[in-house]
Amino acid sequence: MADSLKDKLDQVLLNVQKPARYIGGELNSVIKDKQDVDIRFAFCFPDTYEVGMSHLGMKILYSLLNDRDDVWCERVFAPWLDFEEQMKKHNIPLYGLESLEPLSEFDIIGFTLQYELSFTNILNMLKLGNVPLLCSERKGLKNLVVAGGPCACNPEPLVDFIDLFMLGEGEEVMHELMDLYKASVKANDTKETFLQKASQIGGVYVPSLYDVTYNEDGTIKEIIAKENAPLPVQKRIIKDFDSVYYPEKFIVPFIGTVHDRAIVEVLRGCIRGCRFCQAGFLYRPFREKNSDTLIKNGKSLCETTGYEEISLSSLSTSDYSQLESLLTEFIDYTNDNQVNLTLPSLRVDNFSEELLEKIASVRKSGLTFAPEAGTQRLRDVINKNVLESDVLNSCTIAFAGGYTSVKLYFMLGLPTETLDDIKGIIELAQKVVNAYYEMENRPKGKGVQVTVSVSTFVPKPFTPFQYEPQDTLEMIDEKQKHLVQSVTSKKINVKYHDSKTSVLEAVFARGDRRLGKVMLKAYQDGCYFDSWDECFHYGKWMKAFEECGIDPAFYANRKRSYEEVLPWSHLDYGVSERFLQNEHQKAVASTTTKNCRLQCSACGANKLLGGACFEY
Amino acid sequence: MNTKQIPISEMINIRVFYNKKSRAKYISHLDITRCMQRALKRAGLPIWYTEGFNPHIYLTFALPLSLGYESESESMDLRLVTEVPFEEVKDCLNRALPPDIRVTKVQLQKNKPDVIKTALYEITLKSDTVTGQVLKDCLDHMFSEEKIEVVKKTKKGNKMIDIKPDLEIQSIEVLDYAIHIELIASAGIEKNINPTLMTDELIGKYNLEDIQTSVMRKAIYDANGNEFE
Repeated sequence: MADSLKDKLDQVLLNVQKPARYIGGELNSVIKDKQDVDIRFAFCFPDTYEVGMSHLGMKILYSLLNDRDDVWCERVFAPWLDFEEQMKKHNIPLYGLESLEPLSEFDIIGFTLQYELSFTNILNMLKLGNVPLLCSERKGLKNLVVAGGPCACNPEPLVDFIDLFMLGEGEEVMHELMDLYKASVKANDTKETFLQKASQIGGVYVPSLYDVTYNEDGTIKEIIAKENAPLPVQKRIIKDFDSVYYPEKFIVPFIGTVHDRAIVEVLRGCIRGCRFCQAGFLYRPFREKNSDTLIKNGKSLCETTGYEEISLSSLSTSDYSQLESLLTEFIDYTNDNQVNLTLPSLRVDNFSEELLEKIASVRKSGLTFAPEAGTQRLRDVINKNVLESDVLNSCTIAFAGGYTSVKLYFMLGLPTETLDDIKGIIELAQKVVNAYYEMENRPKGKGVQVTVSVSTFVPKPFTPFQYEPQDTLEMIDEKQKHLVQSVTSKKINVKYHDSKTSVLEAVFARGDRRLGKVMLKAYQDGCYFDSWDECFHYGKWMKAFEECGIDPAFYANRKRSYEEVLPWSHLDYGVSERFLQNEHQKAVASTTTKNCRLQCSACGANKLLGGACFEY
Repeated sequence: MNTKQIPISEMINIRVFYNKKSRAKYISHLDITRCMQRALKRAGLPIWYTEGFNPHIYLTFALPLSLGYESESESMDLRLVTEVPFEEVKDCLNRALPPDIRVTKVQLQKNKPDVIKTALYEITLKSDTVTGQVLKDCLDHMFSEEKIEVVKKTKKGNKMIDIKPDLEIQSIEVLDYAIHIELIASAGIEKNINPTLMTDELIGKYNLEDIQTSVMRKAIYDANGNEFE
């Protein structure tokens, strides 16, 4: 089988862009004999190779599964349009990059759900792999379709297609699921029996074991668990994060990928509690690795990959309690070995000169700060806990360190936002420009460039803003115009994105089970790769909504009451609804909440650890 | 690995020969450069890095290979800052490289890449419907003509060139539905003729459908027909 597929690939691969995406064979990819394993697992990333190969979660689970003798985990990515065309023309099914065997040969097909706009790619990948799209069409244990990742926190729009979801962190639950699957195959269990057993594993959500009923106004009436399935389903976390599994090797792609570097995962969770940030709540409670562990992880990866860059990854790396000692020790290693050390997530309120020096001693790259909102009032609403002076100080430090351009990130459409807040974005950018020219020893003859990058706010489940409506397209368009008209200097460069994709993101982020048919319809009409501008068809999507009798505004632009049964209310991510409501009320009152290290705000996530997150 | 004090005159300039086969043929030249830099790093060999703002491994390739070609005669030049037995360099690199790239030989640089004049290619044309004999007849016919004119893409745009003087067929082996051709073609800095120019012309000129072409570079020669070393 593999030979004939390889022959076919040899016929077509030179007709497509970047053929190395489709052939595997990279260093550290794992080849096993299929006769020697019990479970063949296809780890599918529903986007292109370049995007998927940048994803840390996939690297962790790929190694973790392949470390087991009884499992062979392979990678599958969404083919780009040119290759898809060739696949269809030459009757080539979607295949695993290691064995070059069709997706339909795999026992378990796992998708990672990183963003809502990748959902339709799941349908396309199943289709190209000759795997039936609907759970109801896949009868046996073979081709079990599972999913995990951040968007599994509200998986309801996908329940028609995916048999089970893993909520929260996968390092432990994955092993338990593999053990159960192996035993169930041996016992000749039906799919129903297997799923019922799987629902008893902590963190596993089997949607077919829950019935959803609706009120006349379209809101959910009740979610009922059947066959002993847990209610709520609690997400999994790793209690001892310092000793969690971490790969010694990464696959090293031949082609450049979005993030083509070694990564160490410094911490999980976030102490900050920015009210718009889903990750900040989903990954609670806050847990760190010891700096010794990180150095060990980092050295191992540098040695096995030969990467010229390593990044210290987390939601907010400057909040790492041992950052100074980690940097001091690790920079010696990276300098001696010609490795560039990068810190992707820094905050403006603790960005120090020493830190800049440490980064600059390796190599200069661009600097980005994220004030998120233009006025102090709105920054308080979102609990960013960043002052204007923090932003200006950080930029001044950066300018003094030789940088002449900075990028500032903002969101448009935040709850309670007015046109004054939007003008405030430009005013802040202007103050950054002024700060440059006020600097006495600025580089002679060099101007400054401040890039203002603006995205559209999308309310997400498990955040205090889960109750909030998203601005309508018209409102966003008006705000974007106002932003551009407010620009006061040629040194300020405004970048924003078409907001139509944000509408779709908002619908699916807080969607329910009724959206499955819309997704299927839109996919059948040619919608996939929705996050790629050239593939996004807003008109087709709206037509699909209309034909299914579903109003996208019901999901995107409607305010939810605290009493409403939310589509994800049977899932428990640790943070309590009471806390989210309390935070929501504080937001509306422009009141901030202290970060977790200063004071516990009783979000409830510590119950997952069985104790307090910090000693005060 | 602090390498900065060593003067260039004391460095060892070596040439690494390697194969690039199977899945590796889809790695572009640009990507091979990065792949080799990372392999050298993993191998832990005492490689010289360029100095300056953005230090990187000093690495040059004699004759870039087209995407989709296999090869048994690739070479790259690099500098070692301390002496390492060539066999050891080879073994270290082979442990660090992906399976479809294999180092065959490591030696000192005997001549400069500008001596390269020709390369030997093994070309296979395969079909489900066209017999090997027909393929050979077409090829013979094409070479019996005075000129073989093809369009060559250059930086200044497309131009018509006669490639016949740059090609020399060494042998043709006829199979049922395939032929193997051994071809010597001009190669190097001055003139580099890609064998696909010839096969594409053959396929187009005689309306041959459903032909699969594969190319393997077997050797690289100087003006006297000696192998590049």
